[in-house]
Amino acid sequence: MAKVYTGRDGQLLLAGVTLVKVTSWGLQADLELLETTGVSDNVRTFTPGVQSFSGTANLLYYKADDNSIDASKLLQKLVRTGTAGVTTSDLVTLTLRLVDGTDLNDVTLSAYITSLSIGAAVGEIVSAQISFQATGGLTTATV
Amino acid sequence: MPFPSLRPTSRSFEPGDWPIKTFRSQSGAEVRILYGSARTGMAIELSYENITDSQAETFLTHYNETLGTLRTFTLPSEARTGWTGSAGSINVPSGNAWRYSKAPALTAVRPGVSTVTVSLIGVL
Repeated sequence: MAKVYTGRDGQLLLAGVTLVKVTSWGLQADLELLETTGVSDNVRTFTPGVQSFSGTANLLYYKADDNSIDASKLLQKLVRTGTAGVTTSDLVTLTLRLVDGTDLNDVTLSAYITSLSIGAAVGEIVSAQISFQATGGLTTATV
Repeated sequence: MPFPSLRPTSRSFEPGDWPIKTFRSQSGAEVRILYGSARTGMAIELSYENITDSQAETFLTHYNETLGTLRTFTLPSEARTGWTGSAGSINVPSGNAWRYSKAPALTAVRPGVSTVTVSLIGVL
């Protein structure tokens, strides 16, 4: 059956577990082009270079009935104590999903959280904005 | 094997000079003596960006076959492609030939793709 997808159909999964309060996510796929224009060419020519994937998500800072805050799992990848910094153990598996009943349209990638911002303002719900950078290829791409 | 017949992605050329020796006196007066009748020492640098590894390998093979900077050779017309002036203006004059002034520089860009820069000098 024909369907127009909306934000209601979107989900963001962390290691296969759906994050409850995600208000938006976005995926950016990039291809670096390598220029092959010769000195006698009047029009630029290119050959494919390296591909990369990155994205953003907006998560509400929401406490569930069991006192868990599922945004914390991502926030703690950057906001933490100690001097060890980010290591390869901080790699996360994110699935960006569009749902149509049992029909799942997924993009799954391993990524590092590269930026995070969170703040509180009078009259507004607390939310966190994260950016992520994928490492390696996509493990699922059924969009 | 001849020099690879590929179109460069950039090219720079210096026309060289005649063999001149300059003497300068304490007063500042200068005397220049011409020691030869042919211009020489022209330099050309050719860059081949983002070519396939097999194309890049042909430069290494050619460098090997010319015994590095030892033997001289001519350049194919592809090396001067895009130049709308006289072909001879950016080539070695009669009696000169090209040789490598240094080894080709090969940079790996991504799997299967490389960039090669070749520096040549014109010699009698």
